[in-house]
Amino acid sequence: MPTVAELTKGYGNVLLAPQPGPGVCQTCFNLTDGYDRCYACAHGGRWLDAVVPISYSVGGEQLHHALVAYKRTLEPVATHFTVQLAAVLWRFLSAHEQCVSRALGVPAFSVVTTVPSNDPERDDEHPLHGLVGQLVRPTRERFRRLLVRSAYPVQPHRFDVNRYQPTGRLTGEPVLLIDDTWTTGANAQSAAAALKRAGAGPVAAIVIGRHLNREWGSNDSQLNGLPKPFDWEHCVRCKQPDAR
Amino acid sequence: MLDPGYPVNLHAVHDRPALLFVRGELRADDERSVAIVGSRHASQEGLAHARRLATGLSEAGYVVASGLAAGIDAAAHTATLDAGGRTLAVIGTGVDRVYPGVHASLQRTIAERGAVISCFWPDQAPTRQSFPLRNGVMSGLTRATVIVEASSTSGTRVQARRALAHGRPVYLATKLLAQRWARELAERPNVRVSDTADEIAAMIERQRDGRPLTDE
Repeated sequence: MPTVAELTKGYGNVLLAPQPGPGVCQTCFNLTDGYDRCYACAHGGRWLDAVVPISYSVGGEQLHHALVAYKRTLEPVATHFTVQLAAVLWRFLSAHEQCVSRALGVPAFSVVTTVPSNDPERDDEHPLHGLVGQLVRPTRERFRRLLVRSAYPVQPHRFDVNRYQPTGRLTGEPVLLIDDTWTTGANAQSAAAALKRAGAGPVAAIVIGRHLNREWGSNDSQLNGLPKPFDWEHCVRCKQPDAR
Repeated sequence: MLDPGYPVNLHAVHDRPALLFVRGELRADDERSVAIVGSRHASQEGLAHARRLATGLSEAGYVVASGLAAGIDAAAHTATLDAGGRTLAVIGTGVDRVYPGVHASLQRTIAERGAVISCFWPDQAPTRQSFPLRNGVMSGLTRATVIVEASSTSGTRVQARRALAHGRPVYLATKLLAQRWARELAERPNVRVSDTADEIAAMIERQRDGRPLTDE
């Protein structure tokens, strides 16, 4: 049986951990060229109480490829990446879920859910549900599908409280929201808004990859300055503050 | 890339080439492959080590890939053929070229009994850029890269970097640790030092994905 430790070894060279500090968005860890928050976080909804990206996902590089390919139907490549990404999420949650709950001042997350797919037809069999709801032991017992895509017409990549519809009422439970990729945060923030409308307590998002383009601004040099290899012992919530 | 015969291992890397030219035959079970690479100017000991690893890994059911260069590469190919195994040559020229020229008959034999693979147009001559590109393709094509002997200026180091960027394991021969670059490389995640085919095969096997996962 493949172990999480063995399957994640190679990701030590693939993952690139965000570092909180100046020039890094205080919400989503986007690189901002000096601003406290990136444009999308400053101008969009901010309903999430914490956003924790495991890694940057740099456009065209290996993690980005994995995050796109696991959702494709091409087998066996899709399954290969689904299992590997599940192992990455498992290992990260085992070490750092409590850093996230502590940041929100809650003892633990009683419910785990995912951001629904933008394509409602595919949502039922979206590999992220299988990943969080079956493959990853730290989440599978607590996984519930709390949201569906609403029929309300919304613009892509824009925060919209009406993007998702809750499937039922919540009674103040802290919710851990999992998504594969964060680009503008519009989907995850819209999901958090819908969860709170349904009665959720604090909501945190853990995402595998915070998408970035290397060519943009000074991203390339900033990304090259990040520590390597990936440090599984620390997350953006339990890191020592940057000494710079 | 759109062909159903495009190698699955290559599909799983971000910098895979859109087009591959092949002399010989690609098979679905070429997925179970490992690259054995090293320098052109190899010692007798290094050549013998490459032959032992190639023989052992092909007996363990692995397809052995290498770069058809002089030295370690040629030793890995010929030992695999001698052991009745299957070998893939990932070359830094077009498939209609031979480089170095002395490997013309080896290249023909590999095309008949395995495959000669290139990401370059068939008549492309060797260039400075083509060999590092070839090393990235070889890493992408295989489950792991084994480095037998290489100097600090060797192009083999490019393949180690590509393999790690692909999330694939790299195995180093113990003797390499006499060099500083190899000691530094050995500190990286997913790099292990081993001199036996059985041990390397077992380590590759432990990283195979499948369900269910366990944290034991």
